[in-house]
Amino acid sequence: MNRFMQNDYLSLLTRLVVGGIFIYASLDKISQPSEFARIVYNYHLVPGNLVNLVAIILPWVELICGLSVISGFYREGGILIIGFLTVVFITAVGINAIRGVDLECGCFTVSSRARGNALSLLYRDLLLLAVCIYVWLNRSQRFYLFRQ
Amino acid sequence: MTKRLRQTAILFLLSISIGIISNFVNGNGIPLIGDWPASGGSEAAVSPSAEENDPPFISLDEAAALFQTPGVLFIDARDPEDFELDRIKGAINVPYDYLPDDDYEGYWENLANEVPRDRIIVVYCSGTECELSLYLGRDMVHYGYRDVRIFYGGWNDWANAGLPKEQGE
Repeated sequence: MNRFMQNDYLSLLTRLVVGGIFIYASLDKISQPSEFARIVYNYHLVPGNLVNLVAIILPWVELICGLSVISGFYREGGILIIGFLTVVFITAVGINAIRGVDLECGCFTVSSRARGNALSLLYRDLLLLAVCIYVWLNRSQRFYLFRQ
Repeated sequence: MTKRLRQTAILFLLSISIGIISNFVNGNGIPLIGDWPASGGSEAAVSPSAEENDPPFISLDEAAALFQTPGVLFIDARDPEDFELDRIKGAINVPYDYLPDDDYEGYWENLANEVPRDRIIVVYCSGTECELSLYLGRDMVHYGYRDVRIFYGGWNDWANAGLPKEQGE
């Protein structure tokens, strides 16, 4: 068990997966802030006058924390934020699934065609959260651009 | 623990600064404080791209009252996929994105058999993030419908309020 939690290659792999997912997810939103703002608004969880601020900042949090987890720059802060965001996404999707709202995910693309089924979205986010927890717990010191 | 808090705070501040700066620099940036329409209840949500001669926008309360009124037809402008998944009870699907390009006039002539032009029409799509109801509403007026109203809060407001719905083809 201890070896599993210190495995250098697993550490690298899981960091690349988690960091990569968040970096990839941020790009489309950064390039089309107005489309992403519509999606944030449609979740009906953020007060109307804060919708744009969230739409402007959230993708950058994803990008910067993704880079942080992969490079090792402020790694612990980065994975904490990513884990927290994943919990927020799970809650947001869950609340809207209960409300029966017709939701655009806004996960990886701002296209309205990407309308996922809420349950598969929840499974995907829970799996992501599990990987985040592993990244958090892994004590490997190798394969970082920045020393820990 | 303080180290982690410090890192978290710095990463957040970094993201906030870069986000706001890039939004200013970026050609398609948006206002920091958005003016998003209120929805639900007695206040009618209005599309940001509404023009003076557009059909009237109605609130959730008005839509719910019209739902009880005999003869009023609800038109769902969303894709057939969304329509089949869940819709306002009794609504008819006129999927704006899927209307035929070639014989558009003919389409409207045919539709008039199913949706008579003298009825009160309530058009909706998924909600305030969607403009299909506005576009369809404009076309319906153009093709001879006399009383078209746009329920811009749409399916999402209807579902949130727990009003009657149905599924299937």
